[in-house]
Amino acid sequence: MAGAAAALDYDAELMLRVKDGDGASFGVLLEKHRSSVVHFLYRMVQNAAVSEELAQEVFLRVYRSRATYEPTAKFTTWLFRIATHLALNALRDNKNERNQERLDDDTSEMPVRQVSDSRPSVEQNMVYEAKLEEVRRAIAALPDKQRAAVLMHKYEEMEYSQIAKVLNCSDSAVKSLLFRAYEALRARLAHMA
Amino acid sequence: MKCPKQTFDAEHLRECPECAAFVSAQRSVSAALDLWEAPPVSADFDRRLYQRIEQQVPWWDFLVRPFRPLAGPRWLPVAAAAGLMVAVGLWVERPGVTPAAAPASAQVQALPPDQAAAALQEMQVMQDFNNLIHADAEPRM
Repeated sequence: MAGAAAALDYDAELMLRVKDGDGASFGVLLEKHRSSVVHFLYRMVQNAAVSEELAQEVFLRVYRSRATYEPTAKFTTWLFRIATHLALNALRDNKNERNQERLDDDTSEMPVRQVSDSRPSVEQNMVYEAKLEEVRRAIAALPDKQRAAVLMHKYEEMEYSQIAKVLNCSDSAVKSLLFRAYEALRARLAHMA
Repeated sequence: MKCPKQTFDAEHLRECPECAAFVSAQRSVSAALDLWEAPPVSADFDRRLYQRIEQQVPWWDFLVRPFRPLAGPRWLPVAAAAGLMVAVGLWVERPGVTPAAAPASAQVQALPPDQAAAALQEMQVMQDFNNLIHADAEPRM
């Protein structure tokens, strides 16, 4: 916990240096948070190209806001608030397009699954791809805010209080979102033991 | 869940099939979600971002930056710059004084030290960005 708190202070300190004109500090923040932002947005919109465009917009807004930045919350809270806002807008604006893109999405962009002992058989690959598709569909079936809450909770390992700040709601509202989201996911994915 | 306790310590899970089933299902969900790896970020992500940032810097920003103090009202450096130019113009055009011929190796008069430091810092920021944009992109993991 102390280490995490120190990391928080360091990110905010870096951003304050960016505010003072230190471009190299922006590069450090970008290097540190680029992947998590892109990956969060990818799982939200399930389109690699769109997720990178949105992530670019996130960092652009961070940079544009440097003059007025005040560390009133964790840097990652602010960062993911921007990312979630953009993702929710994209989902709202492109619902029909997103459905079509998901069907057309090239799964070959996914990283090759590594098996330590031997190459996976064709059957193993097919099973893996089928499971992956079930997971993607299960997440895509969640309401947008439940999806955001689950992704932040599961993949970013955020605590309820931070998710609440990102989503601008109460801790109890986050617990409710997560309860319903995981309930829906259990109904669809629990058989994948 | 109907279980009134709804705790997940090992002893309760041994005694309560409902909670045990809940935990098992939740572990399956967690394992399934672990399967979902996001694709790697493209190698030119940073280059494209810095290009967009460069395009966003307004042209007048380069003019007023050398005069922008680290603190103070935003209008002050613009007013200071304008005042400085007026003062220089009045001094050059003062009556009865013939402007000296420009030396062969004319140099711009130095800015006050703090303004020069700020100008150099701003120039270094833009140089950093330029270097990042034009450097060969490194493959990302």
